[in-house]
Amino acid sequence: MNFELTEEQTLLRNMVREFAEKEVAPSAAERDETEHFDRALMFDRLAELGLTGIVFPEEYGGAGSDYNSYAIAVEELSRVCGSTGVTLSAHLSLGANPIYLFGNHEQKLKFLKPLAEGSKMGAFGLTEPSAGSDAGGTKTFAVKTSKGYAISGSKIFITNAGEADTYIVFARTDKNAQKHHGISAFVVEKGTPGFSFGKKEKKMGIRSSPTMELVFENCEVPAENLLGEEGIGFKIAMKTLDGGRIGIASQALGIAQGALEAAINYTKERKQFDQPVASFQGVNFQLADMATQVEAARLLVYSAAYRASHKLPYGQQAAMAKLFASETAMKVTTQAVQLFGGYGYTREFPVERMMRDAKITEIYEGTSEVQRLVIGTALTR
Amino acid sequence: MGERLEEYSMKILVCIKQVPDMESKFKVAADGAWYDTSELAWRMNEYDEYAVEQAVQLREKEKDAELTVLTIGGDKAIEPLKKALAMGCDRAVHVVDNESFKKEPYQIAGIIAEFAKDKGFDIVFTGMQSQDRGSAQVGILVAEMLGIPSISTIVGFAYAGGAIEVKRELEGGVKAKVSAKLPALVTCQLGLNTPRYPTLPNIMKAKKKPLDTLAVADLLKVDARQSTEKMFFPEKKGGGMILEGDVPALVDKLIAILKEKTSVLK
Repeated sequence: MNFELTEEQTLLRNMVREFAEKEVAPSAAERDETEHFDRALMFDRLAELGLTGIVFPEEYGGAGSDYNSYAIAVEELSRVCGSTGVTLSAHLSLGANPIYLFGNHEQKLKFLKPLAEGSKMGAFGLTEPSAGSDAGGTKTFAVKTSKGYAISGSKIFITNAGEADTYIVFARTDKNAQKHHGISAFVVEKGTPGFSFGKKEKKMGIRSSPTMELVFENCEVPAENLLGEEGIGFKIAMKTLDGGRIGIASQALGIAQGALEAAINYTKERKQFDQPVASFQGVNFQLADMATQVEAARLLVYSAAYRASHKLPYGQQAAMAKLFASETAMKVTTQAVQLFGGYGYTREFPVERMMRDAKITEIYEGTSEVQRLVIGTALTR
Repeated sequence: MGERLEEYSMKILVCIKQVPDMESKFKVAADGAWYDTSELAWRMNEYDEYAVEQAVQLREKEKDAELTVLTIGGDKAIEPLKKALAMGCDRAVHVVDNESFKKEPYQIAGIIAEFAKDKGFDIVFTGMQSQDRGSAQVGILVAEMLGIPSISTIVGFAYAGGAIEVKRELEGGVKAKVSAKLPALVTCQLGLNTPRYPTLPNIMKAKKKPLDTLAVADLLKVDARQSTEKMFFPEKKGGGMILEGDVPALVDKLIAILKEKTSVLK
């Protein structure tokens, strides 16, 4: 057993941290304020650094690294900007990974390679107004045509929507099948006739990451765009979300780490009653608890990532990591705002943004309740 | 190793040093002669990052070139070597010396020159100085020992047809263009270029690049000529001056003090 980062992971962490601090952090507050997605910075630069296909083989345009490197990259980006962290996570785990896991060789060359190389950006459309935690409620449907399938319906709350070029879309191909049966997964490219975008959500946090509705009106895609086979869409979605949870857990971990560091620095500087507030035991103990929780979250995230890297079953561990890291992010950022006092409630300091960003990690890619369901069901199966 | 280098038309050497992150909290070590090296975060000397970048740019331009990166230090010093490999150096040389920080610039230069003397390097890049010792001597001494010209503190670099033309920044906002025939050594100033990030694919590739390990005892042939007697923090200066009184009187007092004790007013 080894808890040390490898040389490669250390180099990667230093590189992403330097990039994040020098290039991503300076505009984080303004992008949050203006709800601006800066693709050149938040995606194209990640591609240049080789981060858009971290876990995929070089053959398909990836870096040939592993889930631990992926977790570190998302963590370091999220430490300064939760929006940039989720951009990478949604692209890699949700947009690209289903093609890697379920696509054939041709699909991987055609769709995965440009995603991994970062010339294209990915997104994932599962959630619908009546199908959130219950993906079996999917109403979007696809009918067979002479060339392939025509998709109709809509998807909501889609991260990277509008900006992404390649979408994984879930639709019912068997109208008679019930619940999670009869759902299939398709690759739909931006610009396909019948595929458009609905309203952009105005969100509490991760405001520089675009979230939009996808609208399909008789949108015809070729048969080659079906992932895997008809009817296994639910399985594709669940497998994809297992990996996605490592991404969001890493995002939550990074946000928590950023808030912890901000709180430590501020309480060491801020003086009240003639001494730094960090020297008051009430404050000092809070910092100790925050740091302990962040470290525990880190170990859970890295352990789930290790299992994914080594092809061990990891669904339950990913759910635990996502549950714990997201709840830690919420707790630690809330506490950080408290430690900053009145300043923490203002947009002069980053902790209020971090607190708003943290909340979504308890909701998307499976709410905390769904994570408990996944973990609990596995325990009592 | 010497044999393999012979195949290449241009041989480039870049020398780097691992230094503490300058935001670290420094403590003087128990022996009083250096800082305490435990519990510090480490990184590549910032000046050396510019040296590596310039060397890599030259390496990319000259197709048949081979770029070697060298460092002297303990086991941890492999980290900046790996970074340099991931930035584009072809091979690394680690001169293992757990007590390199105790060696003075002449000794460090002696080790590098001893390594380089029979390798036929056409050009050597170093940082202008290290952030932790700041002597700015090593590069220049290496050039002297190798008997080649050195140009210090460069802020611009160009190579063509066996000669380099560099820019130096002088006091008073004056710049100088200096040229030299190779072989030569340059020491690099901050701002010379924009050091690249080691991308993840290049980090992965760096794992497969050769890294030779040499014992410092085999390369150290010169004796120390100076020693650091004591390292200490300056004593804290007295607190500021607080002037009291009504505003016109305060202004008069302030002007008098500025005239007397500073060159702000005359």
